[in-house]
Amino acid sequence: MKKPSRRTAVVLGAAAAAFGIAVAPASAVPSTVWTVTPSPAAYTAANSGNIVLTANIPMTCTTSAASGTMQSATGNPATVASIDAVTFGSSAAPCTSVLGNVTTVATPPWTVVGEDYAAGVTTGYVGNVNAKVTAGACVFTVTGKASATYTNSTGILAVNSVSGDLAVASASGCGTVVTTSTKPTFKGNYAVKVSGTSTIPTIVGSNP
Amino acid sequence: MRGSRTAVRRPSRARARGATIAAFAVLAATVPAAAGAAGTREVDTELPYVCAFPSGQRPATVRISAAFPDRVAAGEPIRPADVTTTVTFPAEAVADLAATGAAEVRAGTRLTVAVAQHDATAEATWRGTAQPVALAPSGPLTLTATGDVPTVTGRSAGELTLSAADLAVDLALDTADGSAADPAARTVTCALAEDAADHGLLAAVPVGPDPGGTDGSPSASPSPSDAPERQDGGEPADRQRERAPRVGGDAPGGTAARPDAPPCRYDARYPAGPMSLNAYITGYANVRKLKGAALIPLTCTLIEQGEPEFEFYPDFSGGTITQRSTGDLYNGGRTWSPPFEATFLTFGFTPTTATMVLEQTGPLTIDSLGATDYVFTSTDTYVRVPLVLRVTSLTVNGTPLDVGPSCRTEKPLASPEPDPAHHPGDHLVLHGRGEQVTGEPATGYLLLSGGPLTGEVSIPAFTGCGAGGENLDRLLTASVSGPGNYVKQTQGQTCYVAADVPNPDECTTDLQPLRIPVPER
Repeated sequence: MKKPSRRTAVVLGAAAAAFGIAVAPASAVPSTVWTVTPSPAAYTAANSGNIVLTANIPMTCTTSAASGTMQSATGNPATVASIDAVTFGSSAAPCTSVLGNVTTVATPPWTVVGEDYAAGVTTGYVGNVNAKVTAGACVFTVTGKASATYTNSTGILAVNSVSGDLAVASASGCGTVVTTSTKPTFKGNYAVKVSGTSTIPTIVGSNP
Repeated sequence: MRGSRTAVRRPSRARARGATIAAFAVLAATVPAAAGAAGTREVDTELPYVCAFPSGQRPATVRISAAFPDRVAAGEPIRPADVTTTVTFPAEAVADLAATGAAEVRAGTRLTVAVAQHDATAEATWRGTAQPVALAPSGPLTLTATGDVPTVTGRSAGELTLSAADLAVDLALDTADGSAADPAARTVTCALAEDAADHGLLAAVPVGPDPGGTDGSPSASPSPSDAPERQDGGEPADRQRERAPRVGGDAPGGTAARPDAPPCRYDARYPAGPMSLNAYITGYANVRKLKGAALIPLTCTLIEQGEPEFEFYPDFSGGTITQRSTGDLYNGGRTWSPPFEATFLTFGFTPTTATMVLEQTGPLTIDSLGATDYVFTSTDTYVRVPLVLRVTSLTVNGTPLDVGPSCRTEKPLASPEPDPAHHPGDHLVLHGRGEQVTGEPATGYLLLSGGPLTGEVSIPAFTGCGAGGENLDRLLTASVSGPGNYVKQTQGQTCYVAADVPNPDECTTDLQPLRIPVPER
């Protein structure tokens, strides 16, 4: 009984290896070295266009900002930036929904994670998302990640989360508009600059 | 500050036709961002007044204490501080109140303060709220009222004087078991006695630089345009202009800039729950027969936010949103509006001033019905509340008429009801609509953040008006009652009082609404 079992294992291993070899030429080799320029660097990010959070009903923020540090990294996925502060709306321009003003308070740090790179565009996600959203007596907490790309030529971090990226960890006073089954989304563009400059930082993934 | 224009239905614009009905506005009160550098001086003045009670005119003493700055620069606001108004009614007047069955009195004061600099004049209203006091069967009654008062700003150099003028005392009367007395409310109007020292002068505050002895250059010659102006940057308080009343603007940036407003907080009689909000509402109500509008002053509303419900369309292309909230008007511990005054020309020629309150006589509901297709989202909100209009005092052609203790509309004000099967009975209906194109800010009326609410109401006939054999029902019914009165109210941003960390952009530190709405026409 022992021999067949061992043989089976060997066969499975060979199959997996063959699959890997067969697929690899069809796409770029996943980057394992992430070169951030400059590195390390403090950065700031401000929304370019409005930010939309949706939890069955949409919420619009006309102002949003983030800051943190970014640095070169290795591995895949790899954290290329830390978001140490992120704000949604302001006293003068709160986020709004048809229920009324919405307040979103983030619990940082969040992360920017690189997974793939091609032609100056890093594909990955904003990770470790954790934010408390309040609309009057309706309060809920959003956690998870938000799919995103970063484009070196423009310095735009485009957040475009897909259903299932983010989850509602808790909700109270929100009825059936927001429950723990709700799949929120987070979409919007941020223009990233090296702090105190107009320099657009770059991220390049490679696989030496 | 009188307003003569009516609220307008957009896009048409009703024209004002003279001072048909003038709504008296609360002069905007704002707290200066920084205290003046100058010193202050305390003023404590006792003045004789004559007050109108059902049993006749009675003397009363009114003691006013306040602190004023020693001197301010031109354009720098004067903000009287620590203002206390103490009213003492004589025993005979107290007997009138006790005859209603009242055992406890809660009072609010409205002191008209005449402001003058050179030839320019303005009026401010100093509002105060008194703690409840027991009504003793005999002896005088003393009410001590405190409250923040409006700032006044002299636009040029020269002495600015503030003098006490008419006083109105709004009384809420409770019986020993806590229920309302009959009448539940009374407004006592008082005039400064003719023998009052210095015509009620409270303070004279120098405006402009200290001349520093004999070298002081004379101030510019007075100009009629040098009217003192209100702190909110509003127009000069020139009564001749008959400008529309304006209440202080929406003040962003913290409590230091919050205009004056009546108290609006949950208390032991009305405790907050986990979904409790509060908000102010104010606006105009047209009186069609009089071709004018009455300003309904800032009214505190306590709201229990309903949980919003979402129901997907069968194909998940969107869904419906429904939310039912409830609430109450809550002012001075009662479910009514603060008293408000309106002056109008009855039958087009007789100047008539009435003090009124809107009394809630049943549940207030707020139903929001909405829909989204994820591209466009909208909500229609209907506020429903039965309100009886009470008249607490009336002056016709300068002569006070005793309206008696129970002058009111014979039934609640009534609006056309879009859903009568579910909402029977007479009540006011106000509608507001909120809209949002996804990716753009929400606009219009939003339950949590307020906005415009409009409706139309019929004012029923009056009943119980008059005393001593004089029946005023017909006068009021003929001049006021009727259909088609347009109402436009503006709700302010709510404060969610049960928040773990109350929102400093929405709540004061003591959990009152931070945002003060401005009445719109």
